[in-house]
Amino acid sequence: MIVTCSKNQGIGVIQVSQALTAASVDTFREQLASWQSVEVDVTNFVIDLKQVDFMDSAGLGTLIAVLKQITERGGDMKIACLQKKPRMVFEITRAYKVFEIYDTVDEALKMYK
Amino acid sequence: MKAVFYTADPLAWADDLGGAPWPLLPVANRPLLDYWLETCAELGIGHVQVILGEGADEVEKFSGGGARWGVEIQYSFARASEQPLDYLKATSDRWEDGLLFIGGAFFLRRRQAYTPSGFQTLEACRHGADGKTWFLYGKNGDEVKALLDGHSGSERGLEQIHIHPFFIDGIPAYFDINMKMVMGEFSRYVTAGFSTVDGSSVGYNVLTPPSAHLKPPLIIGNDCRFGPMTTIGGKAVVADHVIVDSHTELSNCLILQDTYIGRNLEVSNKIISGNRLISAVDGTVVEIDDSWIVAQNRPDMRTEDLVRYIILWFLAFCVMLVQVIPFCILYPLVRLTRIGIFKKEIFHDPRTGYISLLIFHKLENRKSIVYRLFLAGTLDRLPLLLLALRGRLFVCGQPPMRHPIDDDIVSQLPHYYPAVFSYANYNKDSDRLVDSLWYAHIRSLFEDVKILIKSLLYRFFRAGSM
Repeated sequence: MIVTCSKNQGIGVIQVSQALTAASVDTFREQLASWQSVEVDVTNFVIDLKQVDFMDSAGLGTLIAVLKQITERGGDMKIACLQKKPRMVFEITRAYKVFEIYDTVDEALKMYK
Repeated sequence: MKAVFYTADPLAWADDLGGAPWPLLPVANRPLLDYWLETCAELGIGHVQVILGEGADEVEKFSGGGARWGVEIQYSFARASEQPLDYLKATSDRWEDGLLFIGGAFFLRRRQAYTPSGFQTLEACRHGADGKTWFLYGKNGDEVKALLDGHSGSERGLEQIHIHPFFIDGIPAYFDINMKMVMGEFSRYVTAGFSTVDGSSVGYNVLTPPSAHLKPPLIIGNDCRFGPMTTIGGKAVVADHVIVDSHTELSNCLILQDTYIGRNLEVSNKIISGNRLISAVDGTVVEIDDSWIVAQNRPDMRTEDLVRYIILWFLAFCVMLVQVIPFCILYPLVRLTRIGIFKKEIFHDPRTGYISLLIFHKLENRKSIVYRLFLAGTLDRLPLLLLALRGRLFVCGQPPMRHPIDDDIVSQLPHYYPAVFSYANYNKDSDRLVDSLWYAHIRSLFEDVKILIKSLLYRFFRAGSM
């Protein structure tokens, strides 16, 4: 399993457990979509990237696609625990301008209140 | 006076910046060694000894005989058991006319008031860090001897002649010196006739569309291409052969040679070397194999590589033609008699990570004329030879390394050329690591042809004992 999904105060917390690259993004999408199809009432999400030590353009593109899909449904998505190496990729691709990034999952959850 | 540059000690941080040996790491697009040799030329030093370590070939290729700087360069290799100062002490009679020694990534950072004539008044001095001597200067044998015996020399050291002794001891320091150079210090190192009035220096054959925005201060090397709507600078050092795609902004950054930077990116406070993204603050390295972001611009294949490839491909093709018919006859017999079989095994591959190769295994330990003929014709290598003809393996080189058994060996090889034929084919006592390192060091067409011929002959005449 790449994705572990849970519900915290009505917000979907998505833990990703390995690098998000071209090799793993399809599984990530499928597992997230299957959880979303069960938990249809969840509109807001926090993506916990604590265990993601690398991300390429495919991983980044997938996160942007997920953000787009969530905002189209009227929800929002925040990113938590972004590690040093993926953060550098976020910096050079300007992705930090697109996502709201927080140091911890709790901080991201608080912002929904 | 003589100069000694000790470059044998590896620097771990420099490895993160790509494959170039650390004496050739560019500071404002010029290798560190270039600055040292230029200083020698200014001081009138005629003889320079460079003590080599890893990347010796590249260092030697860059500086050659030293004619470019008007000096005579001699090369030698360091002995593992000997520290550089021990070597200088042991050869102290050679330094009667004075010595300039540099023993690490040491940059002679010129202050505004510096003039080359200042060296004439420089008192004997040494600079070092972490118990290691990085710089040593003495005008005569007595001064050098005193310094080698532990005397610290002048307290002000190089500062007496307005040179700041800059120790490049990590990626942040390396980035820092490059940024200092681009901020205006670069002009202190250029020769007369070179103007950097607006703080910009652009090399030859640099293509910029009209919509690209070059913001000084910046330093750009040769053969660079910038896309439309790019912004380069301020404080950007871009080395040779760099391609920057459209809508990308580079500022306060260092881009090393042969780098491609993708579209719509923003690079700041970073070093990029090929596909490596390096934080200038803490040296964190990310290798991105993703040509949408950053990638390595491979230098063009050199003529000698092309010649070697064509000749060896032709030889391999001839061997394959000779082998095909015997293989079609003998392999079914080998299978029928159940003496041997081809099995797939996983090996390391320099391009794709891993590759599956068909390896011949003897099933039964009994004598067989069919098996001897099969080996004598080197027919067990035919599947590998076919892969070599397709460009997936080298014809001659290092033995393919198994995964995961040989992971340790692969990690110690700076260059890995998995091949059909190697020294191991005709040398029973072959140590694969040592042989692989040796091959990488002396790789040439002659060596490859020698390996091919010796392997085929050895197997032909010794098949019975295998």
